[in-house]
Amino acid sequence: MNKNKKLTNLKEDLKKNQMEIMLYPSKCDGCIDEGMAACVKACETHMGKKYGSKYTGARINIKKKTGKFFPVICHNCEEAPCVDACMPGARYKDSESGWTITNYKKCVGCWMCVMSCPFGAIERIGKDHFASKCDGCIDEAAPKCVEACKKGALKRTGIRNYSYERRLMVAKKIYGPYIKSI
Amino acid sequence: MKYVIIGNSYAGLSCADAIRRFDKSGEVVIVSDEKYRAYARPLISYYLEGKTTDETIWYKDDDYYEKNNFQFLPGKKVVSVDTASKRVITEDGENINYDKLFIGPGGTPFIPPTEGFNPDSPMMGTFTRFDDAKKMEKAAKIAKHKEAIVVGGGLIGLKASEGLRGLGLHVTIVELLPRVLGLALDEMSGNITAKRLNENGIDTATGETVTKINLDEAGNPTSVILKSGKELIADIVVVGVGVRPNVGFLEGSGIKIDRGIVVDKTMMTSVQDVYAGGDAAVIYDVINKRPNIIAIVPLACEEGRVAGTNMAGVYREYPGGMGLNSVEIYGLPIVTIGLTNPSNESQKVYIYQDEKVYRKLVYDDEVLVGAILLGDISGSGILSAIIRQGLKSLKYKDEFINGNIYSFVIDNEFEIYNINEGYAIRGDFEDLPEFSRANWR
Repeated sequence: MNKNKKLTNLKEDLKKNQMEIMLYPSKCDGCIDEGMAACVKACETHMGKKYGSKYTGARINIKKKTGKFFPVICHNCEEAPCVDACMPGARYKDSESGWTITNYKKCVGCWMCVMSCPFGAIERIGKDHFASKCDGCIDEAAPKCVEACKKGALKRTGIRNYSYERRLMVAKKIYGPYIKSI
Repeated sequence: MKYVIIGNSYAGLSCADAIRRFDKSGEVVIVSDEKYRAYARPLISYYLEGKTTDETIWYKDDDYYEKNNFQFLPGKKVVSVDTASKRVITEDGENINYDKLFIGPGGTPFIPPTEGFNPDSPMMGTFTRFDDAKKMEKAAKIAKHKEAIVVGGGLIGLKASEGLRGLGLHVTIVELLPRVLGLALDEMSGNITAKRLNENGIDTATGETVTKINLDEAGNPTSVILKSGKELIADIVVVGVGVRPNVGFLEGSGIKIDRGIVVDKTMMTSVQDVYAGGDAAVIYDVINKRPNIIAIVPLACEEGRVAGTNMAGVYREYPGGMGLNSVEIYGLPIVTIGLTNPSNESQKVYIYQDEKVYRKLVYDDEVLVGAILLGDISGSGILSAIIRQGLKSLKYKDEFINGNIYSFVIDNEFEIYNINEGYAIRGDFEDLPEFSRANWR
């Protein structure tokens, strides 16, 4: 067995024309003044329009803990646990956009993906019996939640910028003030 | 390179996809003993209810096999594997040679010895395949008294009874254990579930077994006699006690079997170039810390992917899995993760209960090892990730038990994401052209 071969295929990765949604939770204030978070509102309206009134419901959520706000949204995992867990084959990787998306006609509400998502980004919509998950607004110019966010807590980036920012964030957490410039 | 895959379901297809990811030209042959292309097998109960139809039960797209260049051989039952000369022998005498073989045969239903059980009767059977569901659909139409008996109160039994109930029958579940879903749920949550079933026209006879099935002249059931001596009218009898690994055909192949197929970290069996996965494979159980058979969909996909990656020549290890399941019973969502009924005294249990919600956490020292969530399952994926990784999370027990599962994510992720405005580290990053679909190659 060739142990030197890589798990990732660079050529394949580069082909992906992939957009990501970057989070800056420190800038999020949950839109307390407006009552309902702008991103949640925008997402809910758009999803209803896109998938039909039965499948409305926001794919982004703001969770709060002692003054901290955190947008909970799909992180678009590479080998996504929700795709593995999906019994009807409703959730799949779109090879064009690289996003994990859902065929809601197939979803039966078994909640296997809700149970598997390590970010808690999949919500159970019990009334209409489907599991709602962000699709990255792949056929739009920009995700509706990003457009709606006036606080700068959500930003749309390409996958290379995304990984760059994530690396900086992790580095900053570990080394903090020692990182001055690159 | 010629790859042969036995089994056309979650493990087998996940393996085929992984092979195709790393080997674009290799020949991939998928052998299935059923005549259908891949369908969502756990959904056959939803098929009876009408939630899944003939159009939506298919697991993959219509052109899946052609698009990925897989050769699909439906309706071919493999009777033996000759590992010495590297070939697979099918029921109709065909020999299929392989360079690398994946075995994902799944399970066959276990039928406890019961007097009068006749699987050939159109009103009696097991409940694991598409054909079983179609048989029950026909049977429900000709049932005289609209009475059905389901033997087994596990997931298969519960889903079968929900499907039959959806067809308008009155169903009685006969379960040997003192509660439904006895292995996954505890007493309290089992009672809540049973109550929900009873409200919706499904009776539960727990602590009982069917000792005899009375038949008419045609061999169809008329009634069943329980251990307690009670007699129940039955038009339909479904046995859904559980499944056993379908490994009978591997006899004499030299592949090591211990209940299921024994595999190493790369999902390879005891024979070189033969891999296995799915419901028939014995994998490492990270909760019980011993080899175990865990027959659930997410693990079948993971095992198939690891096996397929190794078969295509890229080294990858499988760290092991754990048992977890989710089901919805008439609007009541249930999630069970890991160890839910601790036998060890040192393991601590925390319980929250109100009218609609039941939560139970099992801690082994500081490590969360199991959970039951009933009614409110949001954020259950975070718990399953914590349990699988064995993270120390005792200080979050109050928040978890009150349903604030997200607080764990906020505490652990917030700092990582926290970039200050105007922090100098960005450098000339901002000058890079922004990515768009047009300029990104």
